[in-house]
Amino acid sequence: MTRLSIQRTAADNPYLHKDFHGALSTGIDYLQRIYGDDAVRRYLRQFARTFYAPLTRDLNVRGLAAMRAHLEAIYAVEGVEISLTGTEDELVLAVPYCPAVRHLRAKHYPVAALFVETTRTVYAAICEDTPFTAELLEYDAETGRARVRFSRRSA
Amino acid sequence: MIPCTHFIPAYSELFTFLDHEGGDAAVLDFWNYLSDNYLDNLRELATTQGLLGCWQYWQQTLNEEAADFTMTVDEEAGEFRITMHRCPSKSRLLECPDIIPYPHYCSHCDTLYRRVLEPLGFHYQIDLSRCDEAACEVVVRTKPSI
Repeated sequence: MTRLSIQRTAADNPYLHKDFHGALSTGIDYLQRIYGDDAVRRYLRQFARTFYAPLTRDLNVRGLAAMRAHLEAIYAVEGVEISLTGTEDELVLAVPYCPAVRHLRAKHYPVAALFVETTRTVYAAICEDTPFTAELLEYDAETGRARVRFSRRSA
Repeated sequence: MIPCTHFIPAYSELFTFLDHEGGDAAVLDFWNYLSDNYLDNLRELATTQGLLGCWQYWQQTLNEEAADFTMTVDEEAGEFRITMHRCPSKSRLLECPDIIPYPHYCSHCDTLYRRVLEPLGFHYQIDLSRCDEAACEVVVRTKPSI
C-alpha cells in the first residue's frame, strides 16, 4: 500500500501546460458543431478584443513595434523561432509551424477544423480600432505553418 | 496563435460566450462534452491504477501549471487529496485586468472530474468555498465495499 505526499509552490515550476492547446481545440470544435462556424469567429473575436485590449491600445501608441514585441514573446514561450520582417507600416510574420498544432498532432489530439481562426480571427480582432490590419497570407492546416501580414490601413 | 499561457482567459471567455448563447445549460453541456472527450488520460490512469492513477495525472498537470499545492495519496486509507493553496488558473483570472472571470468558473473542476471518476467507482468531493481566494480542496476516495 503506497503513501505519497508532495508540496509545491508556484515558483517551483515554469508555467507551461501544453495540453491546454487540446482543450482549446476541443472547445473550438464543439462550438463549430453545435453553434456553427460564425460562433467560433464571434467567440475568438470576443476573447481577443477583451484579453488583448492592452495590446490593441499599445498598437495605437507604439504602432507595429507593439505587435512585434507581442509576437516575439508568445512564440518564445512556446519555443518557436519566427521571422519578423518589415517597416513601420508593415510587419510580416512567418511561423515555421504552429506549436499548438504540433503538440496536438504529437499527442494524437484532434485539431479543430477552424483552428486556423486562432490565428486569423485573433490577429484581426487585435487590430480593430487601430491604424493596422492583419491578413493571413498562408496557412498549412497540417502543421500550422503560416505567414501573416500586419499593415497600415489605406487612407 | 493563442499560446498555452493565455489559455485560461480564453477558457473563461468561452464559458461566458456559451452562457450568453444558452445560459447555464449551455455551459454545462460543454463541460460534460469536454469531460467525455478530453479526459481519456485521467480515465485510463484511474481505471488501471486507481488512486495512484489520480496521483500521476495531477502530478503532471499541476506541476506544468505551476500550481501552489499539497497533494497526498494513501492507498490504505483509500484517499487521494489535493489542497490547492493558490490555483494557477483562478489566480490568473483574478489578476487579469481586462477579463471578468466567468462567475462559476471553478465549477468546471467539479463537473469534469466527477464525471470521469464517479462512474469508475470513486467518490469525488470538492470544496469550492474559498474559490474567490483561488483556493480549493479535492478529495477522491475509493468507496468501501458493501
